[in-house]
Amino acid sequence: MDVLNRNNVTVTGTGQQAMVFVHGFGCNQHMWRLVAPAFEDRYRVILLDLVGAGKSDLTAYDPARYSSLDAHAEDVLDVLQALDLHDIVLVGHSVSAMIAVLVAIRKPARVARLVLVAPSPRYLNDTGYTGGFELADIEELFETMDNNYLGWSAGITPVIMGHPERPELSEELNNSFCNTDPAIAQHFARVTFLSDNRADLPHVRTPALILQSAQDALAPLAVGQYLHQHLAQSQLTVLNNSGHCPHLSAPQQTISAINLFLEPARIAQV
Amino acid sequence: MKEGDIMNMPALDLRLTEENLDDLYDNAPCGYCSCLPDGTLVKLNHTLLQWLGYQREELVARHCLQQLLTVGGRLHFEMHGVPLLLLQGHIREISYSLRTKAGAAVPVLLNAVLLRDANGDPLVVRVTLFDITDRRKYEQELLRSKAEAEAQREQLRTQNEELIRINADLDSFVYTASHDLRQPVHNLAGLFQEFERSATFHDPASGNMVGMFHGALQQLLTTIDGLTEVVQRKRELEQAPAEAVELQAFTEEIIRSLPAAVGEPEAVFTLDFGAVPTLHMARPGLQSVLYNLLSNALKYAQPGQVPRIAVRTAYHDGMAVLSVQDNGRGIDLERHGGELFQLFRRFHPDVAGSGVGLYLVNRLVHLAGGRVETSSEVGQGTTFRLFLPQ
Repeated sequence: MDVLNRNNVTVTGTGQQAMVFVHGFGCNQHMWRLVAPAFEDRYRVILLDLVGAGKSDLTAYDPARYSSLDAHAEDVLDVLQALDLHDIVLVGHSVSAMIAVLVAIRKPARVARLVLVAPSPRYLNDTGYTGGFELADIEELFETMDNNYLGWSAGITPVIMGHPERPELSEELNNSFCNTDPAIAQHFARVTFLSDNRADLPHVRTPALILQSAQDALAPLAVGQYLHQHLAQSQLTVLNNSGHCPHLSAPQQTISAINLFLEPARIAQV
Repeated sequence: MKEGDIMNMPALDLRLTEENLDDLYDNAPCGYCSCLPDGTLVKLNHTLLQWLGYQREELVARHCLQQLLTVGGRLHFEMHGVPLLLLQGHIREISYSLRTKAGAAVPVLLNAVLLRDANGDPLVVRVTLFDITDRRKYEQELLRSKAEAEAQREQLRTQNEELIRINADLDSFVYTASHDLRQPVHNLAGLFQEFERSATFHDPASGNMVGMFHGALQQLLTTIDGLTEVVQRKRELEQAPAEAVELQAFTEEIIRSLPAAVGEPEAVFTLDFGAVPTLHMARPGLQSVLYNLLSNALKYAQPGQVPRIAVRTAYHDGMAVLSVQDNGRGIDLERHGGELFQLFRRFHPDVAGSGVGLYLVNRLVHLAGGRVETSSEVGQGTTFRLFLPQ
């Protein structure tokens, strides 16, 4: 299977530069639907599903290969190569913010700007570092996922995906947007929450926007400040918003902040 | 129901349908709460407050819905529940645990809908919670059983792989050992022959001992040949494809190849393959099975009596039955039945043999997916019935 099918890549929009959006844990590329269209008039907009999520090729999910975020970073690089993309704007949410960081470190020429939405380099507390969580909390998350085995099941076909213009179709489906294979979700959660990418941060040379909510249980302000300190060319923007998904709960603020980061001159004129 | 039927129904006492909506909200058999888009609690019903052990004032405008969940549940809600709610406007049947003020857990199912204002911006989230304490116990039992079953399946799979490997190792060990032993034993025989030719024995008992030495050497060679045969036949059967074997000609050919017993009356064979004229099996395996059974029938014939051997086929429960019946010495199955098919087990020490034949017959039939049944009477004869899937 070619990489564009493997990662269920969709390409829209027109422009010289490409903007690639990578979703976080718990959902799929649908997460970007309130934000991505705002860039289609100036950018080639590329959405993808991480292997194991959404409509990606689930058979490609080999737990051994995907036991670290590096494999997902390689997948994103595969997509960039397949589409022959350079100097892109790479937008990653949550765990994919770190995947985006790994991509930028490996192939700096491919990534001109990083937009890190609600990022965290490590979720677990450590000596001299506050990630926000203890191992027991993460174990509790796994337990909650176990209890929601049915809800995560991909048994219901997400018909709505093909009919965004007919939202009524979604009414019959229960929690269909973020269906995931339960076993894969468990594994990806483990990889996500036990990963530690703090040592990668000094290697980033790409200008980065750290975009986060004022209240976010998963990425507290202290984590955003830590990232800002350790990413050389970074800018921290805190949105007056609450929750881990500003691109869903505060899409306009999110779009404005990204625009300001990418084209400050243009915004200043307006 | 026709219109007339409705007309004929007794009038309902309307007082029974009058519900106090406030009371229904507060004391409903489920928990209700409403939150701002960020989760801040703005309204809770009495049922929910009772479950949680909080006063209304402690929660309204002070606490978020997420804070009522366990930390793990909150993570799940933020990463999965909230995006879903914002994307599709509702979430249903998500399983969480509420944390009461006292720290206890209340397992609940959470349903929620998102209401938007005229501009389409999120306005309020209405949440319904169902206590599922008993159901959760049952679900956890199911999850535990599932995990156990998976662990056991995995264990069986590894054990199976291990057994297959050990079996293959054993086969190659037997093959290598018998192969490596054969040459030195042949050398030993040659050297002894040379030694016997050149040496002079003074003790009159020596001649006897030389004879015994020959006998022991012969026994050793027979055993080694038997071992080699066991492995080779099994390999042949594993490699050879099953084919339709026409029994009449096949059996006649085997009978012609049997060694004639010197000084014994000639055997009489009766062949009847009318019921099942052909068998579907690997030719080398069937050859080995029939040869061993027929040569056994000759070897263990009653001394001085005409051996009468009948080979027949029949159908039984969808399986082909190939039987070999003789009028030989018979075996005391009461005593030896359990050891009949053991390797190197022998029941008539006065007749030369390696103890491999019946072991091989049984193993080859099993490999072909069949089984062997035996009936025997001492002094009357033995019948082997091979049940083979077709």
